[in-house]
Amino acid sequence: MNISTNVKSTWCPGCPNFMILAGVKKALENSGKKQNEMVIVSGIGCHAKIFDYLNLPGLNSLHGRVPPVCFGLKMGNPNLSVLGFSGDGDAYAEGLEHTIHSARYNSNWIYIVHNNQVFSLTTGQPTPTTEIGYKDKTTPLGVKTFPLNPIKLMLASGASFVARVFADIQQVENVIKEALKHKGFCFIEILQPCLIFHPETLKYKNKIYDLQKSGHKKQDFQAAMKKVEEFDYNEIKSDTKIPVGIFYQVQKPIFEEQFPQLQKLGPLGWKGIKR
Amino acid sequence: MRYNILFGGQAGQGPNILGEILGEALVKQGYYVFYSRDYQSLIRGGHNFNVLTFSDSPIHSNDSKIDVLVALDENTKKIHSTKMKKEGIILDGKHENMYFAGRLFKLLCLDFETLNQELRELKKKYEENLKNAKLGYEEETKNICHVKNQKNKIYFLNGSKEISQGAIESGLDVYYAYPMTPATPVLRELAEKQIEKNYLVLEPENEIAVINSAIGSAITGAKVMIGTSGGGFDLMTEGLSMAGIAGVPLVVYLAQRPGPASGVPTYTAQGDLNIARHAGHGEFPRMVLAPGDPIECRELTNQAFYFSQKYKIPCIVLNDKHLAESFYSLKEIPKIIKSQKTISLGKFNSYESTSEGISTEDSKRIEKNNIERLKKVWDIEKEAEKFIQYKNFGKKNSKNLIVSWGSTKGAILDAIQGLDTEFLQILYMEPFPKEILKFLKNKNIILIENNATAQLGQLITEKTGIFIEDKNKILRFDGRPFLADELNLEVKKRLN
Repeated sequence: MNISTNVKSTWCPGCPNFMILAGVKKALENSGKKQNEMVIVSGIGCHAKIFDYLNLPGLNSLHGRVPPVCFGLKMGNPNLSVLGFSGDGDAYAEGLEHTIHSARYNSNWIYIVHNNQVFSLTTGQPTPTTEIGYKDKTTPLGVKTFPLNPIKLMLASGASFVARVFADIQQVENVIKEALKHKGFCFIEILQPCLIFHPETLKYKNKIYDLQKSGHKKQDFQAAMKKVEEFDYNEIKSDTKIPVGIFYQVQKPIFEEQFPQLQKLGPLGWKGIKR
Repeated sequence: MRYNILFGGQAGQGPNILGEILGEALVKQGYYVFYSRDYQSLIRGGHNFNVLTFSDSPIHSNDSKIDVLVALDENTKKIHSTKMKKEGIILDGKHENMYFAGRLFKLLCLDFETLNQELRELKKKYEENLKNAKLGYEEETKNICHVKNQKNKIYFLNGSKEISQGAIESGLDVYYAYPMTPATPVLRELAEKQIEKNYLVLEPENEIAVINSAIGSAITGAKVMIGTSGGGFDLMTEGLSMAGIAGVPLVVYLAQRPGPASGVPTYTAQGDLNIARHAGHGEFPRMVLAPGDPIECRELTNQAFYFSQKYKIPCIVLNDKHLAESFYSLKEIPKIIKSQKTISLGKFNSYESTSEGISTEDSKRIEKNNIERLKKVWDIEKEAEKFIQYKNFGKKNSKNLIVSWGSTKGAILDAIQGLDTEFLQILYMEPFPKEILKFLKNKNIILIENNATAQLGQLITEKTGIFIEDKNKILRFDGRPFLADELNLEVKKRLN
């Protein structure tokens, strides 16, 4: 299966989004799922261009509203494999409430957040995960607020699968493969340095270490809460280490499995119901 | 004959249930009943009242003058006794609500078994209710009205229930809503029947999630409806715009209450016609349908499903608190049409996109997409002509013409009895039936609306070029519905 399109990419040369796209393609093309069983949703920002580069159905939606669209797709047809792509602006600013409630609902879909810690498509304004002191033309006095730790937030909100990876083909492919096996809401944050507006985060590449290889027990909530404290998104010191991989994974009741109406639906979902 | 009974008391004392029991019993006897609720935004205490009007001929509204006042507390007596008719009767004293049911049934010469039947159907607290009802029935000595079986087959209908019924009959698959008065009764009604009728009802975290989830479900091919009121609808407008560009079928139930902002939550108004017609940025096709009674609630909800699926557009059913929460008795049988599921999962886009759903900034494509959206508007206008977009009542070809829309219909129908005037009710607000121009020409036009700025008046001027004189606008904007007797006087003043 090939899920590429012939649309010419408009990401900047060398953008880590290319790595993410390649990882997503490898994971999906080898997933054993049919093209019409997989659906993608994107928000607004550089990440959202991925919608045009994947030959899969879905919706290139509004800023911040990826989670409710994904949730709605599952309610319309629970048999679909749904992947939502967001930026940090979508997931942590404009649509933060949806991110939290998605963790709480535990509907079976995958939320992938491309976190470059900056609004890039609008030319470099700070987001809720930008570090203190960051300056751009709109913030000449510098950012004054401490960045949000999204992994900690997702753990606190009850997400049943919480992961973070770097924008590396292999890491992206592996984590999506794991997420496709998981039943319930999967939160995956991808650290994706923006070469134009936030290039200092390229340093992350040499700071990351693999949680699973280091013996982290992903079913241990307390251990996960400790691990999220190791990196605060604000400062990269010489001894900073950024854990990547699956922080937490546990089986919880799945939203759609608790509604008898949805359990009865066939492969087409409600579309297949004739009245 | 036309009797007005007012039930008043504190929230929690149960004036609602009294009226519903009597209304049900009267309708079974073949009487026409109109029953409305006036309640405050609180759960216990305060002052709530319900007015039940009944007659042996069709009625659609309440009057201001009271024949029987049932006062469950002293406050009710204080507030409403000034509106009593000369021979009016006040039922009061410290009693349970069903005691008053007993007295009322006796007063109207309804036999006790009729009441017993209603109490049985209530199920809750049957023994206790029966005891209180018996006591009231025994203690009442007067009778004012001999109710006898009229042999009419009448349905006791509520606006919210008929909206729900219309959605179910149209093949509803998923209903999303966030609680907000006065749209909540539809949420409650649909939630209750979801297993029996096999559809899904969900309450996401806010109205933004409601509309975006609805769009997600709709692109899988499901038939989807959402419900809200003013403030909630404001939050949905970006989503509405996305449904517009992406070509997603969506039925939006919008139940009006007085704004701006939180306004007056539990009262009534027709202030949201303009926002229903214009909500959402950019230019895209939509429909706005405004029912004036429960049968129309059912029919127009059904038509909203038909048009939204056929043209892949958002379609708004514009209701208000008065129609959503009042009970009507009507004889008509609604006409229901079938609609197809037209959506297949593909690439949908909130950006301008190619026919493959790929985002585009190409000028030719942008122009083409706009023309396609315009074409939908024209096609819808054409097809809508086959539907009942407006209705005429009253005296045909009178030189006087009342124009209105939505829930004011009931009070107008009752108010113009015997008057030299025609009444034109508009049901399709978008697309607007421009042919009504033929009725408006050279007429003394009287506009009646439950808002402060005459929004239908503005729309008529926009679409037909006809101006309605300010002195001929009867506008009520105190959160209350029109009452037939008061409206009758206002209309008379303006007749030629």
